[in-house]
Amino acid sequence: MPPNLHNTHVKLLAFDLLSLTQTPNPHSSSSDTISFSRRGSPLSRVEILGTVTFRDSKPGKFLKFSIDDGTGCVPCILWLNHMTSPYFSRRRPQDVRLIAHVASDFASLIKIGTVARVRGRVTGYRGSVQVTVSDVVIERDPNVETLHWLDCMRLARKCYDPLPHRK
Amino acid sequence: MAGIQSGTAVTLAELRPESPLFKEGASLRVTGKIQEYSVETAIATVVDGDSKLKIDTQHLRDLSFRTGSIFQFIGELLIHPDNEAVLQARVGRNVDGIDLNLYHQSLQLLRQFQADHIRA
Repeated sequence: MPPNLHNTHVKLLAFDLLSLTQTPNPHSSSSDTISFSRRGSPLSRVEILGTVTFRDSKPGKFLKFSIDDGTGCVPCILWLNHMTSPYFSRRRPQDVRLIAHVASDFASLIKIGTVARVRGRVTGYRGSVQVTVSDVVIERDPNVETLHWLDCMRLARKCYDPLPHRK
Repeated sequence: MAGIQSGTAVTLAELRPESPLFKEGASLRVTGKIQEYSVETAIATVVDGDSKLKIDTQHLRDLSFRTGSIFQFIGELLIHPDNEAVLQARVGRNVDGIDLNLYHQSLQLLRQFQADHIRA
């Protein structure tokens, strides 16, 4: 039985994330019509860490940026359109304002050259994997990237890989 | 975003002319200590052990290149006719405090992990 990676932010290296298996989900009624899996284990949420090497901001709409961790470049999107999006129109305005404020704060943290730990949902865009961002933490310790590499490798071997590959 | 290449992490010792990583335009991530920096040319020389590399920092902003500090750069390799290489940096950061031994060892483990992943 493949490991259950639902409802956890799976720590992945960029090359691993970018090579996830994409499966069209014909029964889905939402806009998430693609499912993602890693060696047979479905997953929806990830945590990546790396250097911001690209940034494209459309104020009031979204911030696109890339995270380079030395093994690949992950495209990320942080939505900033909460106040105008029909997706949030049924929620209380004060809640939407809070969510929008948090997202705006995250956007201000993302600068070229900073090291960011990013959590979010795995989504697809034009056939490629991307991360729809839910959380950003800027890391200042120069050893965090090394530690993230080690974390990802250890977790893959101990938790994420299906048996009998685990060591 | 499609145009941004990932900087493959390499050690300075691996950037010799006979190495497969020593290619014109290769996107690399390098780490080393600033040995010297010229404000006029914006060229920094970084060292790691016995290996050196020149870094063109003209496109970098808000960084002060103090001699003795350890920096990490991501950029593209330019190779001159005499086989001298310069990294055109597009991203740089001060990584003073980095454990370089751990970094080097982890890089080897990372490569093995990637190779095992491709084989699986």
